Amino acid sequence: MEGLVLLIIFLFLAPFFSTIIQKVKAFLVGKQGPPLFINYFTLAKLLAKGSVYSASTTFIFRLSPVISLAASMTALLFMPFAGAAPILSFQGDVILVFYLFGLARFFTICAALDTASPFEGMGAAREAYFAFLCEAAVFTVLVLFYRLTGSLSLTGYFTGPDVINLWRPEGALLLLVIAAMFMVLLAENSRVPVDDPATHLELTMIHEVMVLDHSGPDLAFIELGAFLKLFFYAAFIANLVLPSRPTVGFAGIASFFVAISVIYALVGVIESITARFKMGLVPKFILTSFALAFFATILVLELK
Amino acid sequence: MINTPDVLLVLILLSVLLSIGGSRLQEFIRIMSFQGVLVSLVPFLLERHEQTSWLDIGFLLVLIAIKGGIIPFLLWFASRKVSIKRDAEPIVGYHASILTGLFIILVATFISNRMEPVSLSGHQLLLPAAFTTLAAGLFLMMARRKAITQVIGYLMMENGIYLAGSALAKQTHTQFIVEFGVLLDLLVGIMIMGIILHQISRSFDDADTMFLERLKG
Repeated sequence: MEGLVLLIIFLFLAPFFSTIIQKVKAFLVGKQGPPLFINYFTLAKLLAKGSVYSASTTFIFRLSPVISLAASMTALLFMPFAGAAPILSFQGDVILVFYLFGLARFFTICAALDTASPFEGMGAAREAYFAFLCEAAVFTVLVLFYRLTGSLSLTGYFTGPDVINLWRPEGALLLLVIAAMFMVLLAENSRVPVDDPATHLELTMIHEVMVLDHSGPDLAFIELGAFLKLFFYAAFIANLVLPSRPTVGFAGIASFFVAISVIYALVGVIESITARFKMGLVPKFILTSFALAFFATILVLELK
Repeated sequence: MINTPDVLLVLILLSVLLSIGGSRLQEFIRIMSFQGVLVSLVPFLLERHEQTSWLDIGFLLVLIAIKGGIIPFLLWFASRKVSIKRDAEPIVGYHASILTGLFIILVATFISNRMEPVSLSGHQLLLPAAFTTLAAGLFLMMARRKAITQVIGYLMMENGIYLAGSALAKQTHTQFIVEFGVLLDLLVGIMIMGIILHQISRSFDDADTMFLERLKG
């Protein structure tokens, strides 16, 4: 029950958390930054508009925003917040969760190709390539977690009797996992060292260029899906960092809230102090995160 | 709670991996400074057989100052003098370097499992971390062209030797004396490297070791 309430609260808060990134970025360059509810204003504005469809597109183009939003929402159903039991859970749901994001990406890529715009095809190629490298890192982390808990569900990782977090004896290794997952977060959500969401040059964009032709409610769905996806990864990392709690109290929820905010603020700081990589260096970055997860996995075999 | 030596060792492994994949010299030097501080802290946090004396703390502070302060400063100074900004054109590419890093840690773990050192109950990470640092330093020396990056590889190798030393020796003073001798050698070596690099860059306007191979006596 509390899982459902928390899910609804966080579904509504996800766009707000993304504002934290913008605020931190603005603060670090000495600006005031956008209003706190800018993302809600943007979503409301986009939802009120009509959609424009090119005559060359097919139903795939109309389908993809809905699917990417639905996939992100479904994935969040499996994520335990602050130790509360999630709404859905079964053995092996981690595979489903990460492939839901894969499904969303598949349809976004298809829609981008559907527009027959040369730029969007370029973005689609990059997205497919980088995402496939990220998957290696994510699944190495899952192998490691399976080794630690013997469970294959997010519930088993984060709420079960054998909770994974930094504070257990072999928790030091999870530092590597946290670093790896953070790098995956940056890459998967097209944040700065990999991709610049604020750029306006199609040649340098990855994710943004794929959604250039979407407008109105479709764009709002895509944006909301992106907020939720970023929130999913942030919640994943927050669950790793926070110590385990058998019961969900106000303190648990508050600390979860703070941890999520800190992760978003960290993304903002990283976006402010680093420049975007050259495209050729991005695979190296993502491979590094895979290597970190791999390091941790081998060392866990050593420890047990 | 968190096992502090393990955290340090994991951070050392992280710095090893970052330096294997790194391409910028300034970044390298910062990582080496970080790694030097961590490496000098490790033996003091392991289980000890005797009380901590002022001598131990003195050693710790000197080690941190040399590994984390003086050597990185000398490297930074040398890189400024010869104005090298980045380690362009590695002999082994960055992606291959990272994969080599994975291979190195596999082998290091395998070796330390076979050794089963007696003095290491409760610190299973120490030996793999030591071997990984050592081998990764060796790899950096082989795989990079610039002389200064090769020196950094040498430095990393020394860090690995120091870790292996603290893993295999019992925690006594004699260990620190040997390490100290090695460290002083290293310091002198890096000073000399700085001077030689400066001379090379004055005569050849590039400190790339590829050019040095073609010299004829």
